[in-house]
Amino acid sequence: MKDLLWLIPALPLASATLLILGGRLMSPRIVAALGVGSVGAAAICVLLTVLQWQGAPLESQLWTWMQVGELSAGVSFYVDGLTLVMLSVITGVGFLIHLYSAEFMAGDESYARYFAYLNLFVTAMLTLVMADNLLLLFFGWEGVGACSYLLIGFWHFDAANGAAARKAFIVTRAGDAAMALGLFLLFAEFGTLDIQAMSAAAGERWEVGNPTAVLATALLLGGAVGKSAQLPLHTWLPDAMAGPTPVSALIHAATMVTAGVYLVARTHELFLLAPPTLLAVAIIGLLTLLLAAFAALCQHDIKRILAWSTISQIGYMFLGLGVGAWGASVFHLMTHAFFKALLFLAAGAIIHCLHHEHDIRNMGGLRTRLPLVFISFLIGAAALSALPLTSGFYSKDLIVLAAFEAPVAGPWLWAGAVLGAFLTALYSFRLVFVVFFGRTNTLPDRQPGPGMATPLAVLCAFALVGGWLGVPVSNVFPEAETGHAALWVEVISIGVPLLGLGLAWLLFLGRGLDAGDLVASPPGQALYGFWHAGWRVDGLYDWLWVKPYMGLAALLRSEPVDRLYGAVVGLCRLLHRALSNSQTGRLRQYGTVMVVGVIVLLNIVWRAAG
Amino acid sequence: MRSTELLPFVVYFAAVILLVATMLGLSWLLGQRRANKATNMPFESGVISVGSSQIQLSVEFYLIAIFFVIFDLETVFIFAWAIAFFELGWAGYAAIMVFIVVLGVALIYEWRSGALDWGQKTRRGLEGAPPIEETP
Amino acid sequence: MSGVNWWAIAPLLVLSGGAVLLMLLVAARRDTPLSWITTALILAAAALSCLPAREAIPQAVTPLLMADSYALFFTALFAICGLVTVIVSHEYLGERHGENEEFFLLVLLSTLGAVTLAYANHFVALLLGMELMGVSLYALIGYPDKLELPLEAAIKYLVLSAAASITFVFGFALLYAAVGVLDYPGIGAALASADNPVLLASAAMIVAGLGYKLSVVPFHMWTPDVYEGAPAPITGFLAAVSKGAIFAALLRWWMASGLYELPGLLTLVALVAGASMLVGNLLALLQDNIKRVLAYSSIAHMGYLLIVLVACGLVADPHLAKEAAAYYLVAYSLTSLAAFTLLGLLSRASGSKELASLDDLTGLFWRQPGLSLLFTVALLSLAGIPLTAGFVGKFYLFSAGVAGSLWGLLALLVIGSAIGLYYYLRMVYRMTLAGDAQPAAVERPGWPARLTCYGLVLAMLYLGIVPGPLMEILRTIL
Repeated sequence: MKDLLWLIPALPLASATLLILGGRLMSPRIVAALGVGSVGAAAICVLLTVLQWQGAPLESQLWTWMQVGELSAGVSFYVDGLTLVMLSVITGVGFLIHLYSAEFMAGDESYARYFAYLNLFVTAMLTLVMADNLLLLFFGWEGVGACSYLLIGFWHFDAANGAAARKAFIVTRAGDAAMALGLFLLFAEFGTLDIQAMSAAAGERWEVGNPTAVLATALLLGGAVGKSAQLPLHTWLPDAMAGPTPVSALIHAATMVTAGVYLVARTHELFLLAPPTLLAVAIIGLLTLLLAAFAALCQHDIKRILAWSTISQIGYMFLGLGVGAWGASVFHLMTHAFFKALLFLAAGAIIHCLHHEHDIRNMGGLRTRLPLVFISFLIGAAALSALPLTSGFYSKDLIVLAAFEAPVAGPWLWAGAVLGAFLTALYSFRLVFVVFFGRTNTLPDRQPGPGMATPLAVLCAFALVGGWLGVPVSNVFPEAETGHAALWVEVISIGVPLLGLGLAWLLFLGRGLDAGDLVASPPGQALYGFWHAGWRVDGLYDWLWVKPYMGLAALLRSEPVDRLYGAVVGLCRLLHRALSNSQTGRLRQYGTVMVVGVIVLLNIVWRAAG
Repeated sequence: MRSTELLPFVVYFAAVILLVATMLGLSWLLGQRRANKATNMPFESGVISVGSSQIQLSVEFYLIAIFFVIFDLETVFIFAWAIAFFELGWAGYAAIMVFIVVLGVALIYEWRSGALDWGQKTRRGLEGAPPIEETP
Repeated sequence: MSGVNWWAIAPLLVLSGGAVLLMLLVAARRDTPLSWITTALILAAAALSCLPAREAIPQAVTPLLMADSYALFFTALFAICGLVTVIVSHEYLGERHGENEEFFLLVLLSTLGAVTLAYANHFVALLLGMELMGVSLYALIGYPDKLELPLEAAIKYLVLSAAASITFVFGFALLYAAVGVLDYPGIGAALASADNPVLLASAAMIVAGLGYKLSVVPFHMWTPDVYEGAPAPITGFLAAVSKGAIFAALLRWWMASGLYELPGLLTLVALVAGASMLVGNLLALLQDNIKRVLAYSSIAHMGYLLIVLVACGLVADPHLAKEAAAYYLVAYSLTSLAAFTLLGLLSRASGSKELASLDDLTGLFWRQPGLSLLFTVALLSLAGIPLTAGFVGKFYLFSAGVAGSLWGLLALLVIGSAIGLYYYLRMVYRMTLAGDAQPAAVERPGWPARLTCYGLVLAMLYLGIVPGPLMEILRTIL
């Protein structure tokens, strides 16, 4: 089976190539068949691989990409449990989203381009997770970034979409630069970028807390933070919702944004040698999950709510990574992919059926009008809120408990995570109640077709029972000590989401409290505005980076350096004009100049002779 | 040149300037000024001049004059050789013969070119040439 | 005079005898093609007579002339340049009315003056050669006597030359007063004991007089007007032969008398060189008249050449500087001759009398591809682009300057070359522009002229690509 590994990324790549070259000539049906079928075939390959997997890592050397000095970068794959989880998510969820897209995007004039990008994205993402060395990983990393850029700006005729795409690209680029520096540092240190070899060498070379290790992992973390939209580089993700909704589901919820989590998990042996970085990971995760949860509470664009919740959930994963709950994080990554893809697709269905309406204040009462979507959304929200027995419950509970047992500041981390869980339930069910209950504001003009309903149904199942699957990563990560937390901790962890649900019930179904009153009060107004603007981080960055940069650009626009050269030219012209004026054509003046010249020469020689 | 050596020159130069300035200045101061009809007329020893000074003379006058100067000057060299005839010997003789032959060739050339003709030009090639444009 | 091997001055004898013969021929029979061919033959004979003359050197022929390899080398160069001028002049004179025979006679006499300068080892010979060359040139410049510009140019050249000669002769007088001799070695010997300020003054005045002929700053004012007015072949002759001969004479005097050991003179020449490079190039920068551009560029080129004189005084062995000067002179003579000749031919081929302004060049490439290409090569050589003689010459100069550590002058050389590139390439650019589709050549130049041009350009490229042989020759004879 290991010989067929190359097929997994190759299938979508071939499809993307065909679509790019000949997409214009194909009918939409063929485009859809090609785009969806290739990912489906890749998913089948992954399924076969999983079924035949013995537990040992698979390695597959394809060819040497470049050989420069010590640096030998091969296109070669390394597939272990972690990779298999990622592969399953990417191809499985990816296939469902492709299937959904076939209906969702029907009628778009750039249908082939859409599937070409999407297939290309899947290729890059697969390369990223299968790469056995950091260079190939970085290649995939940049590939998904580029595809993300292309897909956010897919409807590029609207300038705002282009701006959003640019923002995503530039912000993640800041992280990528750090990551590239980290790669250079690691290569300088070990002379190789092969992940396994490097991990082994690091264990021998570095003691725990080695400054170089801290620096290198901090740089890698920079890349992860950028790609996974964590503080302080999270600002691009809400804007990235400008892309088509399936894209948001695939790239900006299920797969690409979790690449940062994957990177940290993949290089966990380096991170283990750098406790300060690991603590930073946990703190970043905690802060992000809280900040994003508050921000999600105050949005009214359905996709932005989900985007902020994605940021928040990835914050949980980072928290898990930071406290050493590697397996739990990867588990949460998987379940999150299920339920968040479900939520996005359901949201997409709402948008699809409601004439591209995004604002939840204009929705309401859809429970009876779109029953399938309601059920999907309800299941997704329950899983997102980690209500017991849903998939999100198992994974999030593991992370929250692991946070409690963290060596440093455990209870505080736990408390934050629990607060986050409360908020998650609150905003999730705010969404459910506002959209599906109450008065009907807009009537849907159609129902989702089979192409959209099938993925929703399948994902509903996974979101419910995905928690029982477990992830086969015991061989990948060090054994976590499974201390049993106190009972009250467990009870609080489990109960808090229910409290959140209850509060949402009170606030948004008008049973006693009215959210409108809260928001209308002066402190409420201020907080609402503040959180609605995502803690005004965008404004801060605008003031801190964008404005000075634009100012500098405006300054350089007039090309001050060229002025200098321009001055030389100007001087030459000036001298030319002055000298030309001396050429009068008058004989007497020429004669005068000669006589003066002789006198000057005589003076010069006498002066020189002293 | 030291500045002390230059001093006499400076003094001399200043003296010349001073002298000329004095002469012009005194005559301007002391001289009488009249504005009669004849004041600005050229003084030709009391005779009133007639006609313009811009008389056109035939160009052949100048040509002949130039030839005269050239050949006259060249006789000077022959005289100089003749005086030192014996001292210069055969070498001098050969040299002056070359000189005289070249002179002769030049004369033949001038003759054949029509430079010695007066009035009627016999030089070939002028017949078809456009007349020189008169510029006022 | 006894014991003289007449072969040593064979080129001089051929040229002067030829001049007398030609005069007789003209007197006997006015026939332009005949005089043309006769002149060409005489000049070719003069150039060829350098070969047997090599057997008789080195020899001092009277105190005035020094027949050595230096003299013969430049004699051959000037005779060939004269020959080229004569060949292409026939094309230029074309259907001109009036007497054309004297034109060739004058070129012959002017070349004789230049050759005399190459031989000159005494100030009397220097003056004789200079005046012989100069007086012939006055007539040549004003030869199209029905046109206003050439006459104006001739008058300007005449009057200013007279002023320069006065300065020059005054310098002689002072020199004679200071050292009592006028031959170069004698001056060198008397240098040590001489009254320094007067000697310096006289040398400065002589340099000024020669500098006028070389058209270096501040004696450059006449250059554009004369270049513009003179017939194109004569402008080429003026640039190549007149300047070359004067520089050859100056260099011989400079070396033979050891003048480079006077620091005051070195300063003077360095300043003049620097000013020439800068002023010449700046003047040419935006100039629209092609002949004036070339005139200004010649000012700059003479400035480059003067670097050699300064370098002589600052290097241990002045031979490198001398070689550099000789190489540059060869390259410059061929190049400027080619440039002006081609300009003349292009003018005739384009139907206008003279290609005057830059606008006339527009689209020339499409109308006259062959000649334009040759002209481009000549311009590139003037600009000092690699693979042309101009580049090797400039490089030679540069290495001489480096050997003398003349960083200031070299910096000016580089700056000047950079400015120069602009106006040379501007012309090339103009030629390549798509012009209005005019009918093809009005008149195709005759084969002798075309052949000569091809020969010149090939020589330029040969010297640029394979500079070794000429360098070897220069190294052995200088």
